[in-house]
Amino acid sequence: MAVITLQTFFIAGFGLAAIGFGVAVFRTSSMMRSALALLFSQTALGAMFLAMQVEFLGVLQIMMMATEMSIMAIFMVMFMMDPGGLGAMEMTHQKRLSILAGVVGTLFIAGIALFTSWGAVIATAPPAAQQTHDLGIELLGRSMLIFETAGVTILTAMIAATAIALPSLQRNPHHEP
Amino acid sequence: MSLLVLVILAPLAVAALILILRRASAALALLGAGLGLAASLALLHQAFDGVYPTLIMPGLPGMPLRLLSTPLNALLSAMVAIVGSLVLVYAVGYMHKDPEKPRFFAIMLFFITAMQTLVMAGDWVLLLVAWELIGLSSYLLIGFWYQRPGVRTAASRAFLYTRTADLGLYTAVFILIAVTGSSQIASTLHTSGHAALIAGLLLLIAAMGKSAQVPMHDWLMRAMAGPTPVSALLHSATLVAAGAILLIRTAPLLPADALLVIGLVGGITTVVTGLIALGESDLKRLLAASTSSQYGLMLVAVGAGVPLAALFLLIAHAAIKSSLFLGAGVFQHSRGSTLLDDLRGAGRDCPRSFAGFSLAALALAGIPPMSGFFAKDAVIAAALGSNHVVVLGVLALAGTVLTGAYMARALHILWHGERHPKTIPGQLWMGSGLAGLVALAAGLSLAFPAIEALLGQHLDEGARAQLAGLAAALSGLTLGWFFDGPRLLGPLAPWAKRNFAIAGGMDTWVLAPVLQLAEACDRLEHKLFSGVFATGRWVLTVGHTVRIIDERIIDGCIFALVRGTQSLGQQLRKVQNGLIHRELAVTATGTALILAFLILALVLY
Amino acid sequence: MSPDLLIALLTGAALLGVGIYGALSQTNLVMIMMGVELILAGALVNLVAFWRFLHPDNYAGQMFVLIVMTVMALEMAVGFGVAIARFRARGSVEMEEARELQG
Repeated sequence: MAVITLQTFFIAGFGLAAIGFGVAVFRTSSMMRSALALLFSQTALGAMFLAMQVEFLGVLQIMMMATEMSIMAIFMVMFMMDPGGLGAMEMTHQKRLSILAGVVGTLFIAGIALFTSWGAVIATAPPAAQQTHDLGIELLGRSMLIFETAGVTILTAMIAATAIALPSLQRNPHHEP
Repeated sequence: MSLLVLVILAPLAVAALILILRRASAALALLGAGLGLAASLALLHQAFDGVYPTLIMPGLPGMPLRLLSTPLNALLSAMVAIVGSLVLVYAVGYMHKDPEKPRFFAIMLFFITAMQTLVMAGDWVLLLVAWELIGLSSYLLIGFWYQRPGVRTAASRAFLYTRTADLGLYTAVFILIAVTGSSQIASTLHTSGHAALIAGLLLLIAAMGKSAQVPMHDWLMRAMAGPTPVSALLHSATLVAAGAILLIRTAPLLPADALLVIGLVGGITTVVTGLIALGESDLKRLLAASTSSQYGLMLVAVGAGVPLAALFLLIAHAAIKSSLFLGAGVFQHSRGSTLLDDLRGAGRDCPRSFAGFSLAALALAGIPPMSGFFAKDAVIAAALGSNHVVVLGVLALAGTVLTGAYMARALHILWHGERHPKTIPGQLWMGSGLAGLVALAAGLSLAFPAIEALLGQHLDEGARAQLAGLAAALSGLTLGWFFDGPRLLGPLAPWAKRNFAIAGGMDTWVLAPVLQLAEACDRLEHKLFSGVFATGRWVLTVGHTVRIIDERIIDGCIFALVRGTQSLGQQLRKVQNGLIHRELAVTATGTALILAFLILALVLY
Repeated sequence: MSPDLLIALLTGAALLGVGIYGALSQTNLVMIMMGVELILAGALVNLVAFWRFLHPDNYAGQMFVLIVMTVMALEMAVGFGVAIARFRARGSVEMEEARELQG
């Protein structure tokens, strides 16, 4: 028999919030509200991490996602056709296929989650300071290569994004009549 | 030896020249005949001197071809050359208006070549070849005016008759060569016994065919459908003489029984054809029947055992009969026909020709001092002196009587009638030829002693034979002059008009079956031909079908494959529509499938 | 089976479903990217739950989470760069009109 503790309630609550805000992302026709809904969804996930006593990752999640979503909101205002969503247009296509795919995916993973024996669950987690310390040791010890690769990848992505986003000198004369 | 070659090659080369050039054919013909005449006279002169040239050419293995000039051969060659040249002189005038002169003169020269080869042949193979060639020339010359009705059938009949008789010659030659092992005529003459008897009878059959003896006498009368020079040369002096020449040359071979049969055949022929001549209504057919009759007399002489008498009659008859025919040709040009009813009085229109004609007629009847008298008497003497004097003598005398009768009949009809004077073109040439031959006919008896000396034989003519012959001739002439021919014949007249045909004659016995066989073979060949064509059409159909299969089916499959691949590509193109969401959907579906597969594998195994 | 783990896993499954729905059904490029973000968030939840409840001593789990977060950020950055470029070229980022690669 499983032990239902207070932790369980918090995890469930934050989980439902994440799912709810995630659904809200696609139900509004306003771009701003979609971005904000995503922000709240990710934040709820971060809170869930915190509830599971994984402090570092929870904080990281909240910080990163907040920043990202804010930038996305600004982007929306700059480039979107109808950021306010006042036109109320139906902006979806192949809806049936998508719903079907979503439902199938959910049920599939849920089925796996329910019908697999995950083994014994360890009830206690290490304290936060210990987690951070061990994570640092892990990062700079065994997983150093992974981290370096990640660093290089970040650099590449930065350069690539900047390069793409720069207005090309040759391109503009093509589009100016 | 070169003279031998010249005798044969000169007419042949000129014949080819005439066919190539097709102009000045008359002059060229006279040139060719003249060259041949000079060569054969030179050969005769050499024979008198005792020189007998021989020419041996390679032929079949073991049987070389020989041309040799014995006294007999040289004499006959000279006869052929002289008569041929004079007839060609006559023909220049006779064929003056004819448009096909080159063909005529070329074939005449070709015939003279073939006849010379026959006469000079020293071995059987060459003789057979020459025999066939004179038959061929006769066919071509009889059918010269092939557009006229009846001419083609006459030529075919003559050819078929003589061809059938030639089987006898072939078989006889095979027997002789098989028995003696050599083809040289001189060596085969030493055969004796049964082979000699059979060969002799077969040679008689061949001679009967060529010399128009009973029962194969019909073709000669029908052969008168050809031009008169042809009748004069071929069917009086040379071609029909081939049969008699054959028997004269092979006389040493013939046993007594064969000689009796020969004599009987000759005798019967003499009488039967004489009767036919008496009842004839056409002048040339009368003369043709007379030719058969005279050759019958020659066969009587051979049957009596005196070939020399037959030779004399042959030479004399050549000159006499050809001059008679040339005269008939003059009358034919003057009246436009040869029927005796149309020729009444034609003699008065051409008095000089008639004079020559009557001189030759009297010579034929046997009036001295012309050559016919001495020749006939030799024959009658031989018949009276033979072992079967009763049969042969009676037949020979009857023949002589009939000769006088029908010649007098002809003279009577020609002289008594109305005059229709008409100028005849080419009369000069015709007259010259006629005159030459008449002179020969009259004066040849002077040469007989020389001929006797040449051949080294001698004829004894008893006074009995001479008197009997003269009496028979005079009685015959009187009968013919004063009495009408058909009335003399009496009950035999209708039968004589049909050439004494017995039981339908040669037509039903020989001609009809042969023609039916030929038609059956023709039908068979048509069937084979159409069979071959059907096979060809079938093969072509198969080939066509194969081609269609190749084009439609095989190529069709390949092109269908091509089209299928292209359409498949077109279909697949639609997948690449460039839309991001579609690609995302495909990605999601693919990923789901892969995951399902992996997990299934994990669960099961 | 601990209910915490189950709840976390189910949350991850639900986020995955919503994310797939969004990625496949939206016409706007940015909305598609949002869908992908949700999918990756679901994966994150799963990873954290596994680490916390099954292997708290092995910090490779936390490394994985870090890497996934990094990838999420990078993907958004590059994606926005592409969207800006497209907006400059065509004037909109609607995916319905993006037929240039049609073959």
